[in-house]
Amino acid sequence: MELKVKDFESALKSLEDIVVQLEAGDLTLDRALELFEEGIRISRFCSSKLDEAERKVEILIKAADGTMKEVPFTEDVEANES
Amino acid sequence: MDLFAQRKIYSVYDITSEIKRSLDKFGILWVQGEISNFKHHSSGHMYFSLKDQRAQMKAAFFRNNNLYLKFRPEDGMEVIVRGRLSVYEPRGDYQMIVEYMEPVGLGSLQLAFDQLKEKLRKEGLFEDLHKIPLPLLPRKVGIITSPTGAAIRDILRILKRRNASLDVLIYPARVQGTGAAEEVVAGIRYLNSRRDIDVIIAGRGGGSIEDLWAFNEEIVARAIYQSELPLISAVGHEVDYTIADFVADMRAPTPSAAAEMVSGAREDLRATVASFGGRLNQAIRRGIERRRLNLERLAHNKAFTVAPNKIRDLQQRFDEGAMRMAQAMRRFCYAIRHRERLIATRLHALDLRRLLDHKKQILAHSRQGLISGTKTCLAAERSRFEVAVGKIDALSPLAILRRGFALCRDAKGIILKNAADVSCGDQVSVTLALGSLECEVKKTNENYELRMTNYELKN
Repeated sequence: MELKVKDFESALKSLEDIVVQLEAGDLTLDRALELFEEGIRISRFCSSKLDEAERKVEILIKAADGTMKEVPFTEDVEANES
Repeated sequence: MDLFAQRKIYSVYDITSEIKRSLDKFGILWVQGEISNFKHHSSGHMYFSLKDQRAQMKAAFFRNNNLYLKFRPEDGMEVIVRGRLSVYEPRGDYQMIVEYMEPVGLGSLQLAFDQLKEKLRKEGLFEDLHKIPLPLLPRKVGIITSPTGAAIRDILRILKRRNASLDVLIYPARVQGTGAAEEVVAGIRYLNSRRDIDVIIAGRGGGSIEDLWAFNEEIVARAIYQSELPLISAVGHEVDYTIADFVADMRAPTPSAAAEMVSGAREDLRATVASFGGRLNQAIRRGIERRRLNLERLAHNKAFTVAPNKIRDLQQRFDEGAMRMAQAMRRFCYAIRHRERLIATRLHALDLRRLLDHKKQILAHSRQGLISGTKTCLAAERSRFEVAVGKIDALSPLAILRRGFALCRDAKGIILKNAADVSCGDQVSVTLALGSLECEVKKTNENYELRMTNYELKN
């Protein structure tokens, strides 16, 4: 299920809006259920973003032709002496 | 003595040169005084006067020496200068050629710091409204720092401990010494040019004001200000404040703190999302419950119980009515049948049948009589008829013919009674009792009349 737009920030904001609307209480039952479903979708999306676990650490090296290149970074002091 | 006899007459230039040579003998000296009439030419050379309450002297601070000056000399500033004395021949001024200047009281670096801070503050570079908010959940952070320094190690350690799923890209830069400021600026520009960086950390470990100086340079401050990506400055220890700290979108007292800033949100955000989830559930449940109660209340409303009762009532009355009607129908049918039987009985009593039989008999009888009577009549009539027929028959020409007489007709068909009506040779037809003849007259005999004799019948 694809959400329209949605990076984390705007997703969180939408979620907050939905919660506020639902708590206000003056919606038709159909609309309330619609919003509830969307709210659940968004909150799952946010949770999944928060749980993403990859981490990459890289350092830039200036190549011979002057362009920058990324290489993995190790905390070995000698290897990274520039 | 004759003052005029062996006088030595110098040229102006010569005596000036002599003075210059004398002054030169001072060598390198230090002078303290207050700056006045300070002028910084476009050539880069600085010209001013140094003075105290009783005397003043001119000074020149040429470009190749004053380039290294971190602070800006100003009128009224008390300074200590080092240089040589000289003479500016064209004007006959003696002056000091300054090769080094420092402020009295504050260190020159501190002074430079204060001056730049004031200047940039006036330009509005430190204003909050120019600060870009940090992203809540950055995916990639660019770090401008020394790859071998303590700062990067601290940052990476904190990120690992917080289990932050955040990519790191290090832009290696010198963080002190000549050219460090330029490298930091290049780093800021490079990271901004990429599309995948969400936030920048620029920082280094602790050190003296000289060590941290790169982060006090004007070019660094302006690069930070112009950065479109949010930038966290993480320079030195908690107590160290650099110009970069004022311009940056966020100041971290240490590099570790910066790492926490880019990763910290995660736990809080989890809690926020969880709380929103809880509130969603509650809100929808409450909404549904409220509606359900409404519905129940309405369902128990009299309107819904009264009507069914009324209907049942009506149904019952209908049923009763139907039953009674059925009964009435049945009774009616019985009554009719009863009457029918009664009538039948009475009819029988009236002996109508017998009467009918009797009548039938009479009828049959009469019929018989009629038939036989008719037969008799018919027989009588027949015999009369037969008699008549006999009579007719006797009188009929056929009977005559049978008696041997013949009927003669002429060619025209007229019955011949007189021989005079024909001539010899005429054709005549003769009808016999049986058959007919076609004859030709051979001879006629007139005046012959058959007289009736005893053969006449008298009626």
